[in-house]
Amino acid sequence: MVKIPTLRHVRGFDVARPVSIGVMLAIMLPLVILPLLSIFLFGTSKGLGVFWSSLIAPEAIFALKLSMVTSFWATVFNVIFGLFAAYVLSRYDFWGRNAVIVTISLPTAIPTAVAGFALLLLWGPNATLGRLLDSHGKHLMFTAYAIILANIFVTFPLAFGVIKPVFDTMSSSLEEAAATIGATRWQTFWHVTLPSLRGAIVGGALLTFARAIGEFGSTILVSGNLAGRTQTAPLYIFAKFNEGQIEAANAIAIVLALLSFIIFSVLFFARDWLEFEAQEK
Amino acid sequence: MNPKMALAPDTDQMHVSWAPQRRASTGVAASVHGISKRFKKTVVLEDVSFDVAEGESLVLLGPSGSGKTTVLRIIAGLEQPYTGRVILHGQDVTDLPARERGVGVIFQSYALFPRMTVEKNIAFGLKIRRRPRKERKETVNRLIKLVQLEAHRKKYPWQLSGGQQQRVAIARTLAYKPRVLLFDEPFGALDAQTRVKLRREIRVLLRQVKVPAVFITHDQEEALELGDRIAVLNNGHLEQIGTPDEVYNHPATEFVATFLGAANLLLGVVVPGAVEVGAVRLPATEETKKFRVGQSVKLVFRPEDVCLSPDAKLPEGCRRLANGVIEEVNFVGAYERLNIRLDLAPPRQTESTAALDDVTMNPPDRMTGVPIMVTLPKPEATAIRYKAGDRVAVGLTSFSVLPNYTLARQR
Repeated sequence: MVKIPTLRHVRGFDVARPVSIGVMLAIMLPLVILPLLSIFLFGTSKGLGVFWSSLIAPEAIFALKLSMVTSFWATVFNVIFGLFAAYVLSRYDFWGRNAVIVTISLPTAIPTAVAGFALLLLWGPNATLGRLLDSHGKHLMFTAYAIILANIFVTFPLAFGVIKPVFDTMSSSLEEAAATIGATRWQTFWHVTLPSLRGAIVGGALLTFARAIGEFGSTILVSGNLAGRTQTAPLYIFAKFNEGQIEAANAIAIVLALLSFIIFSVLFFARDWLEFEAQEK
Repeated sequence: MNPKMALAPDTDQMHVSWAPQRRASTGVAASVHGISKRFKKTVVLEDVSFDVAEGESLVLLGPSGSGKTTVLRIIAGLEQPYTGRVILHGQDVTDLPARERGVGVIFQSYALFPRMTVEKNIAFGLKIRRRPRKERKETVNRLIKLVQLEAHRKKYPWQLSGGQQQRVAIARTLAYKPRVLLFDEPFGALDAQTRVKLRREIRVLLRQVKVPAVFITHDQEEALELGDRIAVLNNGHLEQIGTPDEVYNHPATEFVATFLGAANLLLGVVVPGAVEVGAVRLPATEETKKFRVGQSVKLVFRPEDVCLSPDAKLPEGCRRLANGVIEEVNFVGAYERLNIRLDLAPPRQTESTAALDDVTMNPPDRMTGVPIMVTLPKPEATAIRYKAGDRVAVGLTSFSVLPNYTLARQR
């Protein structure tokens, strides 16, 4: 854990301490803490029975499962691709390298609705690639694959962004040492480079998964939001809320909130384990 | 004696284009021939050649930017030379990648694999060579014992001290029986005391394993202690290669003289049987042999090669240079350091009548005369208490004469 330095230049009772902690909490309260709390309070206000029955409704279960599965595959793809892209971009210099780095990072800045719209324009029934697929009797948009595609697009830079700096700061002498010892490139990557990236890979994966599971803007455009077929958990919350079924929406909201909470707790508290390399210095 | 037999060792010394099997018997473990290297337009190395004998340790000594690390990286295969060849045990490895050369590199940062224990680091070379588990285990046990890390075998690199990490790095290379060990500034990251201790340990270790080694350092003391031979590099040129005694006591160039310890330099001209420095003559029949009369030379001598006398009588074996005035006396621990100004222009001086009253120098505060630095061992310094302002006769026990090139291209 990070050790907090004491303010040694302050003598006696430090008034600033309770005041600043208080102000910080007071700002956080209405902005973050109360909204989160209200999901839990409202969701369980009609008793756990109602909560449970809304949770195990077939459509709700399906939405949660679909979110998990699509986020999982988007994470798998983006971690592998992010690792590969980070390797290429930190080991090879080529013309346009910086432009590629900027482009890879771009999806973070694009509104997710725009991302969904862009995918529709390319893969939709009346679009170039969409029509090509159509002629083979296949569809991509408004299926689970479209959701994965949208998730990949939106979370594209996350794993890459975590892994690339670790590659950049990794001392080249480790790889050189492995080479002089007799390791091939693949052996060096597998035995030396990859283990050092363990923390970054796990961190990048959790971040990607957490982001993908909550994705709404692009998903609603490309999935068609068909209950029981292409409706993910966030879409389910939105749909049920619109239908006035607040309890149904709330049950799923609690599950999603808890999931994010767990993921970020792991990220925060497992930092010591994930960032093993910090201790080597 | 059969003349052919007498000739054999000589021909073996030649090292241009012998067949590998032939060279394997010469006792040369590694050699580089005419290595040059440039990065973009900067010339980093120019025509560097040397051999490392079987079991020998050679030190590449030079200031930073002299190209010594590049030489090491070229031998290791981490850098490609512009011209020249690298030969390891008779095999031309110039075009082989690093992993096929079988050299052991001990990096300055040690470059231990952070996610592997001491054991796994040492076993890595055998693991990737797919050696049977039993052999791996035996080798690791033997090496851990050799480098005395039995108590630390399950530890990770970050749990070890610098010296321990270095021993792991050495054991890791010894595991796959390297053809040559290359040490890149091995003691750079350690404090002064550990440094001295470790370099003794490494010498002992190298004698045990009998693997030839190339060290890189900018520390002359380290070079003198570690090297069976020292190669002095400057600006990508090999200035001199020889035993520590040769490079220290008989430096071939002014750079070698000044880089390896302190040296005094005086300009002179060769006259028959002597060097004329200013108006004084220093008898030097041996040293001036390879120069012609009238040639401009540099007289090089170390501070400890100077002998002083408070009267005109210099000890036996000490050749008289001139008279001088002591300007400053410093006590620096093991010895005393004196700054002396030499009177190189006495009005009349002959070998027989050179007495101290001939010194016609200005008083010390006028700062005339040629300054030199002298060190005296403790017993001598305590026997005669020299002090600033004393007049002394100055002689030299040994010195070198180097050509004084006025034009760079004469070199």
